[in-house]
Amino acid sequence: MAIEFLDPTHESGAAALAPAKRLASLKGATLGIVSNGKKGTKPFFDAFERELKERYGVARVVRTTKSNYSAPAEAEIMSEAERWQALVSGIGD
Amino acid sequence: MSIAQPATKPAGGLRSKRHRGDDFAAAQEYFHSRGWTDGLPVVPPTPPLVSACLEWALMPPGQLIGIEPVRSRPITAEKLAVNAVMAGCLPMHFPVVVAALTAMLQEPFLLHGATASTGGSAILIVVNGPIRAELGMCGSFNALGPSDRATTVIGRAIRLVLLNLLDARPGEIDRSTLGHPGKISYCVAEDEEGSPWLPLAEERGVPPGASAVTVLAAGAPRQLMNEWTTAPEEILDTYASEIRASMRHYSIWPGNYAIVVPPQLRAHFERAGWSKADVREYLHRKARVRRSEWRDCGKGSVVGDRGEREYAAFESPDDVLVVAAGGPAGGFGAVIPPWYGNKSRAVTMAIGACVDCEA
Repeated sequence: MAIEFLDPTHESGAAALAPAKRLASLKGATLGIVSNGKKGTKPFFDAFERELKERYGVARVVRTTKSNYSAPAEAEIMSEAERWQALVSGIGD
Repeated sequence: MSIAQPATKPAGGLRSKRHRGDDFAAAQEYFHSRGWTDGLPVVPPTPPLVSACLEWALMPPGQLIGIEPVRSRPITAEKLAVNAVMAGCLPMHFPVVVAALTAMLQEPFLLHGATASTGGSAILIVVNGPIRAELGMCGSFNALGPSDRATTVIGRAIRLVLLNLLDARPGEIDRSTLGHPGKISYCVAEDEEGSPWLPLAEERGVPPGASAVTVLAAGAPRQLMNEWTTAPEEILDTYASEIRASMRHYSIWPGNYAIVVPPQLRAHFERAGWSKADVREYLHRKARVRRSEWRDCGKGSVVGDRGEREYAAFESPDDVLVVAAGGPAGGFGAVIPPWYGNKSRAVTMAIGACVDCEA
């Protein structure tokens, strides 16, 4: 016997958030790194920052850290991010 | 393929997309193929079954249960009921599912973090009040396992909600390294009748006689045993030792640990006149470690110069959740650790309570 049943998912379709516009180049850009604050992020992002500057010509790297690595970044960080051309949200364990 | 998606008109106010299977088996495969189940069969959420849940709870389908804040994901009563039916819930179980999810959506619970973290926690639901008897919940034998129909399906409903409404599927939003079996279902009814202690919910501010849930983002139970003393202090030293082990081996940060105390151990507290408050106070004092202890368990590299610093498992005695549950025989108990310190807080919610309603 045929069964009709209801969809269990949220059905909200594509995420309301669209990816940010891609940059053609990082040269001269200000780039923010939002760390989740875990210990492993420090050496990784140190190396990452060097690579960004030396290989890609990033002008300035702003390093910030969330106060709770399991929660979204604070409003102050997101506000500051509006002044950056690119952002890397990084986690580390 | 025996599944079609008819464009039938909504009936009874239900707005979910409708699917159709040739038979029960086809419906099961459809759910599995879409990743809509936890791996177990589901009850197909037919419109009459979903409507019955909503009618029991006196909720219109579009009633907003809450919004998951990180992803701005609204959760309606209809979608909650669909998943509850799938888990095996009867209409009378549904208000408990509503209360549990409402509690989980409160800000201190940090739902997104708790369900996405590599730490792999599950949602522990402790049920208090008269609804336990109405639903045939059993806080006795096998209390932390599949003890009865109601606790099993209510716990499972919450897992299916996380899967289907918040995309907390393994490898998607759920990034658990290991997880644990409580992620299938993790619900326990407190044995209020078998204990003179205050029910957990009442200790946490719910009026006597009201039914309530307490939710905790929790690790797996850590079972302990001490059948060789009648002294409350010694019994609690075993619990404190287990909590310290969790602090040393897992996370040193303070948070809501639940302790589960079955009747054989409870009897010693009762004879000695110890209340839950006494238990909480004792554990608050005793469940402490020094950072230097990490050297004994392979974590010496992160002791640093803070070896003598003392870490308490509880910021306050109020953070200890004491739950009376378990079968009558056996000097066992359990410590249920928090997901990760106090990043997520236990939340207690009366069943039928309306959050954000005007007085």
